[in-house]
Amino acid sequence: MAAPALADERVAAGPGGRARRGPGRRRDHLVGALLVAPALVYFLVFLLYPALSALYYSFTDWNLRSDANWVGLANYADLLFDDVKYPHFWTSVRVTLQYTLIAVPLTLVAALAQALLLNAIRRGANLFRLLLFLPVVTAEAAVGAIWRWLYDPQYGLINTLLGLVGIPGQNWLNTPELVIPALAFIAAWQCGISMIIYLAGLKGIPGTIQEAAVIDGAGPWQRFWRVTFPMLRPTTFYLLVTGVIAALQVFGLVYVIFSGNGRSVTGGPEQSGLTYVLHLYLFAFRYDAMGAACAMSFILLVFIVIVTALQFRFVRQEAS
Amino acid sequence: MGRGLVRGAVVATLATALAACGGSGGGGGGQGDAKQLTFWMYQDRTPQAGQVIEKVRQDFEQANPGVTVKIVKIPKDDYNTKLGSAVAGKSTPDAGILDQPLVSKYALDGTIKEVPAGLIDEADYYKGALDTNRAGGKLYGLPQDQTTVALFYNKKLVPAPPKTWDDLKRISAQVHAADANVAGMNVPKGDGYGAWMFPGVVHGAGGEMVDDAGKKVLFDQQPAVEALQLWVDLQQSSPRKITDSDKPFENGLAAMTISGPWDVPTIREQFPDLDFGVAPLPYKSEPAGNIGGEDSVVFSASPNADLAWKWLAFLAGAEHNGAVADAFGGFPVHLKARVVAGGPEQAAFLDQLKVAHARPAVPQWIQVNDEIIAPAIESALTGKATAQQALSDAAGRTRSLLGWNG
Repeated sequence: MAAPALADERVAAGPGGRARRGPGRRRDHLVGALLVAPALVYFLVFLLYPALSALYYSFTDWNLRSDANWVGLANYADLLFDDVKYPHFWTSVRVTLQYTLIAVPLTLVAALAQALLLNAIRRGANLFRLLLFLPVVTAEAAVGAIWRWLYDPQYGLINTLLGLVGIPGQNWLNTPELVIPALAFIAAWQCGISMIIYLAGLKGIPGTIQEAAVIDGAGPWQRFWRVTFPMLRPTTFYLLVTGVIAALQVFGLVYVIFSGNGRSVTGGPEQSGLTYVLHLYLFAFRYDAMGAACAMSFILLVFIVIVTALQFRFVRQEAS
Repeated sequence: MGRGLVRGAVVATLATALAACGGSGGGGGGQGDAKQLTFWMYQDRTPQAGQVIEKVRQDFEQANPGVTVKIVKIPKDDYNTKLGSAVAGKSTPDAGILDQPLVSKYALDGTIKEVPAGLIDEADYYKGALDTNRAGGKLYGLPQDQTTVALFYNKKLVPAPPKTWDDLKRISAQVHAADANVAGMNVPKGDGYGAWMFPGVVHGAGGEMVDDAGKKVLFDQQPAVEALQLWVDLQQSSPRKITDSDKPFENGLAAMTISGPWDVPTIREQFPDLDFGVAPLPYKSEPAGNIGGEDSVVFSASPNADLAWKWLAFLAGAEHNGAVADAFGGFPVHLKARVVAGGPEQAAFLDQLKVAHARPAVPQWIQVNDEIIAPAIESALTGKATAQQALSDAAGRTRSLLGWNG
């Protein structure tokens, strides 16, 4: 049995293939390995090793200073069921889910609308693209300061604008019910990266298809729903999946909005802005419970994996 | 899917990754003959404060030839995070500033050294400030400055500051009645900062938050309930729609607020037109307030511990502590140190310091403050519970968390 197989291989490699290609191949392997080495080292040292240590610490009572003692599954059980030790764990879960459900669709709609407008205009597209992208590259601290002013209950521009159309001003960042929508709106304002990806998606739709639709008598509305939107499905799917993952990890925004100026970070009025990762951060660095914080991060990891798998299973992703 | 996994892994390692990169700038050590000492402190509040510290550093180096002191300045909001990461990464500096409530924690697990016998004469220091460095009866650090909060009042709206709670409520109501767009008092909220201020008010009614020696929670008793009720009552003349605005006191929208000496120069500089005064906190039965400030410690891993203690004692000594404490935004802790002459508001803070109480020496106090007391205060302030209900519930949770019976 072995002989024919060997013969086949030699045939496949071509006459004298082995002798000639062998060393060359090995050199290729070496070059390949060298090329991926930096990324691989980075992955092993800065991602895999910390991730595995975090997994280990999630089974301990480590407080960053003393030696870690093994506590088994106690951190996980306490997080899920002990209301005395972690009174705000489930609050943080609810807050994060609410934020994700509002922020992700809002961001996608804002990004698509901006991309369609940019795609449509002929002059000044570069300028507008720059302006719309600016919020992404603005320092998080500046974003926090700007939006605190915009949402100010006394001088805020948003209340002034609402007043023009007769809507009474709100105390946005200090009313528990309004905190999450207000934060999601900021996230949608920062949709520049999604907008750029949508724009690339739009440029990838062949002009001939749009022309054919025009010839067939389709109006702009029909062209959007029947041609553009279905053609963008892979883009939308990608942005949905990455957007959900990012939203479940929201941290910087709430941190800068609710901290600074003497306020300590306890997550806004009645913990209404206490997102999952902010809660995790507080236990890791403020309440001396790094072990529990590591357990929280693994619960989040499992949740993200499940949510992502469900999206791959149930959301349509092919263009049509 | 692969991408999702990787990104999930990134957040999963957030905590550890932060820990891994926090160590930069630490790890001072002696090399050869020339010794280098690394000292961590908060970012300078003002350029002038930076000059004061630089001058003291040069004086110390002159007095100790061959020694260089490397000062690493870290924004206050990030300080505890960075320090915690440095401890975890075993790259602590030789010495550093340490937040008062962290001293007992760090002492109990051996992260910091005990003050060597004979370094200072304890009788030279304010007892309250020195006591914030004790754990298990031993001294683990030197205080560098002490501070407290007091009542700031807008002189245009409040001609004479209130002395008692009744005065406070009356004046607040008068201000709001005179102009519905102005709040009487910037009432603290149910967040970490409000919960930090709350004990000072409780002491003003003759109460205590806890009895840490006897392991008893006391903030569900009458004085604390009355203190919380005071804040609830004050909100009638101080709607949140006004006080939640940016800097309501500075902008003249709230007639009174509670803050510390660190705010005085900032307000004078940014709001030169605001005519304000500072008075001790109003009280019910006895004058009282909170104590705060900076302690300084030597880390166990330091190879230059003796030199590090010498540096800390130099900062806290009679000769320099006046200027150093002023640079840190507080008042001297050494009895013989000269208080840097300040504005007319200084007397109020010094009066307040005489009756200031230290925070409970409970290692988990920050967590109790943030996760239990703050939400309780908020639920009373928003009317979701009475002051008594909110505090009884919080006291029960605190007992369960700490494993106390009383």
